[in-house]
Amino acid sequence: MNTTMKSNYPPVSDNGKPRKSIGQILSYIVLVLWAFISIFPVYWMLTFSLKTNEEIFGENVIGLPKYWVWENYTRAMNTGNMPLYFLNSVIVAVSTIVITLLASVMATYAITRLDWKGRKSMNKFFMLGLTIPIHASIVPLYTTLAKIKMLNSYFALIIPYSAFSLAMGILISIGFMGDIPYDLDEACFLDGCGVWGTFVRVIAPLMMPAVATVGIYTFLQCWNELMFANVFISKDSLKTLPVGVQALSGQYTTDWGPIGAALSIATIPTLLVYVFLSKQIQDSFIAGAVKG
Amino acid sequence: MRRPFSYKLNIFLFLLPALILFIGVLIAPIIMSGYYSLTEWNGLTTPQFIGLANYKELFTSKSINIMRALKNAMLLALLSTCIQLPFALWLALKLSKKPRGERVFLSVYFMPVLISTVVIGQLWIKIYNPDYGVLNLLLRSLGLESWTRVWLGDKSTALWAAFVPILWQYVGYHMLLMYAGIKGVPPELNEAAMIDGCTEGQVNWYIIIPYIRPILRVSVIFAVTGSLKSFDLIYVLTNGGPNHATEVPSTLMINLLFLRNRYGMGSTIAVMLIILCFVFAIIINAIFKEDKGR
Amino acid sequence: MKKLLAILLTAMMLLSFASAFAEEQITLQLWSIATESDSSHQAYVDAIAAFEADHPNIKIEHNATENEAYKTKIKAAMSSGEDLPDLFFTWGMGFLGEFVNAGRVVCLDEYYPTYAEELPQAMTTNVTYDGKMYGVPYTMSLVTLYANMDILAEVGFDHIPATYEEMMDCCDKLVAAGQIPFGVSGKELWCLSEYVEPLVIKSVGGENLKAMYNGEKSWNDEGVIAAIAAFQDMKAKGYFDPSADALGNDEVKNNFIAGKYAFYQNGSWNNADIGSKAQFAVQAGTFPVLNPDVTLYQMIGGPNNTLAVTETSEHKAEAIEAAYYLAKFFSDADYKSGANLPCWAADPNAEVSDLVKSAADMAAKAESMVLFGDNFLSADAANTYLDYIGLAWAGDITPEEYAAGLDADLH
Repeated sequence: MNTTMKSNYPPVSDNGKPRKSIGQILSYIVLVLWAFISIFPVYWMLTFSLKTNEEIFGENVIGLPKYWVWENYTRAMNTGNMPLYFLNSVIVAVSTIVITLLASVMATYAITRLDWKGRKSMNKFFMLGLTIPIHASIVPLYTTLAKIKMLNSYFALIIPYSAFSLAMGILISIGFMGDIPYDLDEACFLDGCGVWGTFVRVIAPLMMPAVATVGIYTFLQCWNELMFANVFISKDSLKTLPVGVQALSGQYTTDWGPIGAALSIATIPTLLVYVFLSKQIQDSFIAGAVKG
Repeated sequence: MRRPFSYKLNIFLFLLPALILFIGVLIAPIIMSGYYSLTEWNGLTTPQFIGLANYKELFTSKSINIMRALKNAMLLALLSTCIQLPFALWLALKLSKKPRGERVFLSVYFMPVLISTVVIGQLWIKIYNPDYGVLNLLLRSLGLESWTRVWLGDKSTALWAAFVPILWQYVGYHMLLMYAGIKGVPPELNEAAMIDGCTEGQVNWYIIIPYIRPILRVSVIFAVTGSLKSFDLIYVLTNGGPNHATEVPSTLMINLLFLRNRYGMGSTIAVMLIILCFVFAIIINAIFKEDKGR
Repeated sequence: MKKLLAILLTAMMLLSFASAFAEEQITLQLWSIATESDSSHQAYVDAIAAFEADHPNIKIEHNATENEAYKTKIKAAMSSGEDLPDLFFTWGMGFLGEFVNAGRVVCLDEYYPTYAEELPQAMTTNVTYDGKMYGVPYTMSLVTLYANMDILAEVGFDHIPATYEEMMDCCDKLVAAGQIPFGVSGKELWCLSEYVEPLVIKSVGGENLKAMYNGEKSWNDEGVIAAIAAFQDMKAKGYFDPSADALGNDEVKNNFIAGKYAFYQNGSWNNADIGSKAQFAVQAGTFPVLNPDVTLYQMIGGPNNTLAVTETSEHKAEAIEAAYYLAKFFSDADYKSGANLPCWAADPNAEVSDLVKSAADMAAKAESMVLFGDNFLSADAANTYLDYIGLAWAGDITPEEYAAGLDADLH
């Protein structure tokens, strides 16, 4: 802590006052400006989702709504199948998270805690998954799913999503599992818990922080995924939010308010998660990149 | 340990779920893609083995015009490494100096990364809308009526208009990685340099940037391979149009698969993409390593 | 008398069958592109209601999907062979052809004779493969040259130019007067083909064009080269809307309706829209011939919108009957609403707009009808073909390269 404090001492200029050059002010302006540019589309979306077309198209383009048209949200929920798309996305995301977590924590346990010859190569093998683009598997997956009659099912999305989140899940889990002292599982092992007992009683409970990080990362991956969702699902009742919203926007091009509401409905859960867990979210993205 | 056989069985059982997913969804399909890329197949009949004919056609057909798609993707990669990354680095350097509201800036910059590309795409479509979009309204209110365009519909502007949201969305991502890297620079290094009378710029250039080189390498790899693979935003914004002006390899692949029923040729593009991604990753790694040696 | 008796007997037989199987309810699945915003949506609703009223034991479940999404959906279902409907909407030639080749579609030859009087054999050519009929066509479309007669009058024309020279002269005068002769979308390639194909057919003739699509004749033909050269020449002289590349077809159509262009050449499915919305005198005609040896009524278009029955249907006989019944109904309904031209014998007393009359007149006079290239060809070839039209439009290739390229790249 001390060292960071020290480094934070502002450099002192000749006359003894902290320097605030024009350059610094200018760069601060750029920082603010970029913050504005980063947030503007979302601000605009949230405000126009509550406006009438008249306001959006000229009277009041970027201000807060004069009349708050909550009706846009009821219309968005009633046209198309927004509640259904939302539910589908939740089902797919939750199942994917559960499968990814289970598979990656188990594999991590085998790779880091159990002693065997091929564990390093096995780890490298899984890390290949970080570089393989999802395009690589789209045709074979599509045709195989068609053959086993699994196109148009939650399964068609859950399994591929889990597989593509797996490498990152293992990567993050390895970091967290390294922090668990070996004494703990050795003690449990000597108590006669066995491999599975140790895993269930010691490792799994202590992996909860990893669960959050992996879960968030996986959630964002599948909540927003478009290519597979677009190709593997053609039944309206099974579409996920991105595909549903895309279809809806294509159909109602002139009525901006309800579209804005639909876009907001798809975005608000992510924003909520972000507000409460911004540190963990950022960490999960950093964890993936630093080692990948 | 007591019973080696059951121990080995346990290792296998722990790995099993991950292995099934990984091999079933990633490894096996890649091998299948490799095979399909050597066949003529419309998805209805059985695949006919035709050797490398797809690869030959891919690079000679004027209609598929893969070179245009690759050129577009490479342009995006270039813009990304030459504009987006330096800007992200600049932001990260400034933020690491702990200006007022550091956390807020960080969170705001990173936010676009989290929002669904469909939502981002639809928002930018509205921003670009020729009649009511914010962009043209802004230009009109500034008296620049003649600068207004049908941004995404006009062949001459569509490509740039489609790239802006992509670059915009991921600035925050690279910024975050670099910021994390800069936070890892030992403070003693900075202080020593400051005491020696180095300016902020010199510290950044001679100490911080060399120190975070591994992160820069990752950023460049992500930027280049990400550009090659880019799909979502282009698909939402223009779907390769108008008149193929904004086609990238992925949109071309989807079109070949589902518009033209050419599963073999679609796989050829997929295989080409994987190879290109790996080749570029290796080249970039080599560049960063060579630099280190000097 | 004999006929009447036959009908009575058949009716009695059907009635007794119907009562015998009254409790056996059948549900047929129908997939189409007639979503609520589609012009033929109402026809689908009415036709299904009528069919169900006539066949109390059969229900039709209609599932409509937007055009582009429909193509993906039906292809996916056809490729896996699962979850297929009993009946489905399809375009003729290339689109249906791929499903026929894959053995997914029922041959309808056996049932055709019952309807032969109402559905002329000539109308079934685009759904006939190796001499067997696989679909029931209901409406046809022809490329039509819509003319804003008010604008033409400004440059001294009271009719649609009848010869190529007259047409060029008219366009020159329009350009000189500050008018845009032709509205087209350069963004949607099929719209460009609505200009290119009439030029080609009026240069090489229908039979030759058909042979080229079928791969029996080379595209490397003087007539094709002349047609593409004429097309590029028209663009160079500023006959097309200069902002065409930024416009979609709907915008172009609305521009024409708003009086922005002298001509708009597109499918006859626009009859209802243009006829009811245009505030000026509008006439429908056909582009003049390029090659004096070719006759005027060589038309692009033909029977296209079709219903077909899948091989996986569990109620083939009922599905086939429904296909004929619905097709006949649509044919009639779309004709009366002006949405399209009928494939089935039309009600001679029906009151239709002038545009529909002239379109029907052109169809009757047609000496040859060749389907739109992107419908004629299979999906892959169709896209290649459209891309070449885009290249020619952009001036990226010469007419010679266009002809040689099609020969090389269309499988």
